Amino acid sequence: MWFLSLCSCSQEEQPVQVDLSKKAEVSVQKDSYIITYAYLPQYSHRVSYERHNPLIEYLKKETGLPIKQIFPDTFDEHMKMVGQGKLDISFSNPVAYVKMAHRYGTNAFARIVEEDGRAEFRGQIICRRDNIAIQTLEDCKGKRWIAVDPTSAGGYMYPLGHFYDHGIRKEDFAEIAFAPGPGGKQEKVALAVYAGKYDIGSVREGTLEVVSEKIDISEIRVLATSRWYPGWLYSARKDLDPAVVDKIRKALLALNGENAEHQKIFKAAHFTGILPSSDREYDSVRELLEKVGVDLNS
Amino acid sequence: MANLSSFFRKLGFRTKISLSIIAILLLFGIGLSLIISKWVSQALLNENRMRGISNSVNLSARVVEPLLSEDLLELKNLVDELSRTDKDVTYTFILDRAGKPLVHTFSGGFPIELIQANAVQQSEVYHIQLLSTGSELINDFAVPVLIGKARLGTVRIGMSHVRVQKVVREILWTIVLTIGIGILIVGFVSTALARTVTRKIQVLHHAAEEIIKGNLDVRTAPSLQSRCWETMSCNQRECPAYGDERGRCWYLVGTLCPTCVDGRYDKKIESCRHCEVYRSQAGDEIQDLAEFFDVMALTLKERLQALRQTEDHLKQQQRLFQTILDVTPDMVSLQDQELRYQAVNKAFCQFAGKREIEILGKTDTGIFSGAQAEENQRENREVLEQRHTLNVEKKVAGLDGDRWLHVVKTAVVSPEGQVSGVLGTIRDITELKNFQDRIIRSQRLESIGQLAAGIAHEINTPLGIILGYAQLSKEDVQPGTEIHESLSTIEKYARISRTIVADLLRFSRHTESVKKPLDVNQILHQVTGVVEHTYGLERITIVRDLQEALPLVFGDQEKLEQAFVNLLNNAHDAIGSDGRIQIGTTFDPVEKEVVIRVSDTGKGIPPEIRDRIFDPFFTTKGVGKGTGLGLSVTFGIVRDHGGRIDFETTYGGKDSADKTGTTFIIRFPAYKEEPT
Repeated sequence: MWFLSLCSCSQEEQPVQVDLSKKAEVSVQKDSYIITYAYLPQYSHRVSYERHNPLIEYLKKETGLPIKQIFPDTFDEHMKMVGQGKLDISFSNPVAYVKMAHRYGTNAFARIVEEDGRAEFRGQIICRRDNIAIQTLEDCKGKRWIAVDPTSAGGYMYPLGHFYDHGIRKEDFAEIAFAPGPGGKQEKVALAVYAGKYDIGSVREGTLEVVSEKIDISEIRVLATSRWYPGWLYSARKDLDPAVVDKIRKALLALNGENAEHQKIFKAAHFTGILPSSDREYDSVRELLEKVGVDLNS
Repeated sequence: MANLSSFFRKLGFRTKISLSIIAILLLFGIGLSLIISKWVSQALLNENRMRGISNSVNLSARVVEPLLSEDLLELKNLVDELSRTDKDVTYTFILDRAGKPLVHTFSGGFPIELIQANAVQQSEVYHIQLLSTGSELINDFAVPVLIGKARLGTVRIGMSHVRVQKVVREILWTIVLTIGIGILIVGFVSTALARTVTRKIQVLHHAAEEIIKGNLDVRTAPSLQSRCWETMSCNQRECPAYGDERGRCWYLVGTLCPTCVDGRYDKKIESCRHCEVYRSQAGDEIQDLAEFFDVMALTLKERLQALRQTEDHLKQQQRLFQTILDVTPDMVSLQDQELRYQAVNKAFCQFAGKREIEILGKTDTGIFSGAQAEENQRENREVLEQRHTLNVEKKVAGLDGDRWLHVVKTAVVSPEGQVSGVLGTIRDITELKNFQDRIIRSQRLESIGQLAAGIAHEINTPLGIILGYAQLSKEDVQPGTEIHESLSTIEKYARISRTIVADLLRFSRHTESVKKPLDVNQILHQVTGVVEHTYGLERITIVRDLQEALPLVFGDQEKLEQAFVNLLNNAHDAIGSDGRIQIGTTFDPVEKEVVIRVSDTGKGIPPEIRDRIFDPFFTTKGVGKGTGLGLSVTFGIVRDHGGRIDFETTYGGKDSADKTGTTFIIRFPAYKEEPT
């Protein structure tokens, strides 16, 4: 038996000897001084990373600042981290910004130009193409609605504003659910509608293209599209050194769509340009929030 | 090796089969174990690798988000979950982009040697390194955690070989157990199978032993399942197979089935193979062998019986032949071309004074004395060369005196015309010769008697006249005168002459006789009583040895007395003085004869006169002492009574009183009550 075992278990590969008894405690060390940068977790962390890492590398190089991308799991966490001073530069939608500006006094300093060349964007109300029960906005009454997040602009607030404009209130829906976090929430809404889990869904324009690799988007019908609102913007924490903000703002504004290197950054980040911005450009959003009765403090 | 081979050869057939099967199973089992364990081990290790790769690549994908969000709790959950769900996973840990462990599944610190034990390049999907902890082997899987081209860290998973080895061991044990059970089952089955074979072989073996012991009445084939005459619905009771409960009809000659072919086994078996009886009865090769064996034994038995009968017959013939040869008084011998004795009978052996074994194979030279052997050789060669029959009478010196032999020697000629030997037949004709002599002697005495009787008759009358005139003249003369004396002398010799004449007449039976049944013993008593005193004076004693209750003899008392007196006188004369005369009587119940023996201690009879002692006037005594008629008269009286007289004598000096000189033996036929 011993002989057989020996024969059958012999290996050509010579093992490396390791002594598992030599042990040491390990601890994670925090970086001492960094400028934190976060992308409101509209998509998964991986997508966030892939989109913004080239931009961050560019900023680090241009400004010489120790900028590091961090990944809050939810919109709420993102906003809280701004409030706690853990997040210095926030790239967020206008709804989140209006809330953060109201609560923590953040300042918008730049905004992006979308891939379609507009500095605005809008929300879409989608349903399954074969859902014959839903033909008009009126048909959405009494239906189950999945939205991206209570703080989502294109994925909730803009479509909700659209419903209000057509006389449909929150209470008219059988259910308003929000996609589970963290990250990837826009995709999850599209997937939930596709799977038939909810009757209607609300996503920002462009999401369907993102999920086109995962589902057959021809099965999805866009029921309605909201009006245009200002697009995503960069804002700085209230207490952040204005010199730092300035450096970053200049570097961002210096990005030129004609430059081949900058083109790569834009392509990864899904922008086509960065424009200067200020807080009052977002009043239309403030009005929307007031219309639908959102408490900015909650 | 030779020992082993010798050991294997000595094993029983059954053990050989079982051992061979077990050895094959063992070899098969070991081979199978080796192959399967190798194969399974390889497959499991491969699977282990594939699973390790899958685990580590999956984990590397899953840890991207928590790594980005620096969610250590989530990372810890992920590594713990992997270790929990996959039992082969010994450890899991994640290194950050600087190569420092972020989370791990070890308790009580992180084994720092592990960090350097395996490394993966960013260009590689994974890297596997075999590690040994001293107590177990571990496959370490390293997978880079990538996002785009950026590397966030490294996932490391350790997959233990322990379970693979355990599974291989379990499989090996299962195989060993299965083979063990297989060996047991096969052992039992093969033993059972071999037993059926060896049992049949043992039956054959015992049968062979029985045959060697001489018992040919063996049966090794099993009993018939069905009977051929029932299968064939046959009613031919004269068929040799009919009623034979154990024999196989296809071995039998002369079976009467319409499908049967005439002839022996080799001729009829071909047609038998298609027969329903054969098809339903024929068994395997061993049964065939047993059936052949039975037939062989049966045939052998029949042949042996026939042989024994022939042998018995031959023996009987030989006994008959030997009896004839041995019983015949003739001496029979057969000599080959070299004149060596090939066969002799008992009479020949007695004649030669040797045993049969001393004679066979030898020539005459080795058996008989020089001269006789030479003569025999010469005669034999003559017979061989001339192919004739020798027929002679000759006198040879035997152990007990001279013997007359009638010799017939014939050349033995084979059917091919070759002379192959000499058949000798020798008949002892001594008795015949003696008888012939006696007849001649009797005839001579008869002639003499008739002559003497004629003379006596003629002389008797003149003698009477002489005696008468002598007596008358004597009365006329004065006694004491010369003439008276002369006349007395004439008278005396005339009387003697008349006695001689009377004796002559008695010898030639010319006297009257009165016969009646007589007691010989009584006569002998009277006679001996008369002479005993006279003989005693010369110190001659008479010893009587007379058998009581002797049968009577029919005869003339006076003549018998005369015969006995003559014999006693003869004995007295032979002894002279100082001797013994023994008289004995016996009865010979075979010949039914009364035998009287008169022995003296005299000097015996010289050989040269033995033939003449019964002749008249033959005497050894001096002139005037005897007439020479005593024994002649006795011979005549005995013959007249239908008896015989003979004598035995030893010629020589008178050594002692006990020595017997001559014994006369007289035999008279015993008297029968009924007159014949």
